[in-house]
Amino acid sequence: VPDVFDALGDPNRRRLLGFLAERETATATELARELPVSRQAVAKHLAALHSAGLVEGTRLGRETRYRLTPEPLADAMSWMASVGAQWDERLAALGAYLERSR
Amino acid sequence: MNTSVRREVRFQVSAEELWRALTDPTALSDWFANEVELDARPGGTGIFRWDDGSERRATVDVVEHERRLGFHWEDERGNVSRVRLALAEDSEGTCLTVTETPAAGPEANALAGEWSWGIELLAALPRLRRPVRA
Repeated sequence: VPDVFDALGDPNRRRLLGFLAERETATATELARELPVSRQAVAKHLAALHSAGLVEGTRLGRETRYRLTPEPLADAMSWMASVGAQWDERLAALGAYLERSR
Repeated sequence: MNTSVRREVRFQVSAEELWRALTDPTALSDWFANEVELDARPGGTGIFRWDDGSERRATVDVVEHERRLGFHWEDERGNVSRVRLALAEDSEGTCLTVTETPAAGPEANALAGEWSWGIELLAALPRLRRPVRA
C-alpha cells in the first residue's frame, strides 16, 4: 500500500494514469506528447508506477506498450476502509469510557 | 477530502478529561488496549497490547498539552501511518478530530489531499475493465 500512495503523490504520474485509463495501451513516446515533460521523464514515472504495480509493460517490436493495472488502488482503498472502521470502533469505546468515568 | 481517513467526534467532557483519556496509560488500558505503555512526549514510545496477542508500537512526534497529539505507528501488515488527534474545547464539550495518513517514503508529507483523485479513478474501474477490442 505505501508504494501506491507514493506513486500517486506526483501530479504527472496521476496524469499518466489518467491517460492510460482513457486508452487500452500507450507507449512512453505517446504519453510524452500529452505531458509537458521529456520522454525520459515519462519513462521514469512509468517505472515508479510499475514498481507500485499500477502499470504493466509489454514489449512490442521496438517499443513497450503500457496498460493500467488498477488493482493496487483497490488495496489502498480497502486500507482506508479498514482504518476508518477501526477508528469508528475506538471512538465508540472512548465515548463509552468517558461516560463510565463521569 | 483532506487526508486519507478523518473522523470528528464531540464528547461532553472538558479538553482536560479528554486529554487524560488519550494520554494516560491507565486510562488508555480502559478503552483502547488491554495493556498500554506510553510516554506522551515528543520522541516518546507507545506500546499497545491486546488480549488476542496483537501489539502495536507508536512513536510520539507532536505534543501540545490538551490540544494536539501526533504519532507514527505500524499495523500488522507493516504499513506505517501518521495519526493526528486534535482537541477543541467549546461551551458544550470537546471536539476530537482524528486523521490517519499513510506515511511511508519521502513523499508521505505531500500526500494529504491526494485521495479524492484515487476515489474518482476507482469509481471509473468498471469502464476501465471493459474488454480489449481486437
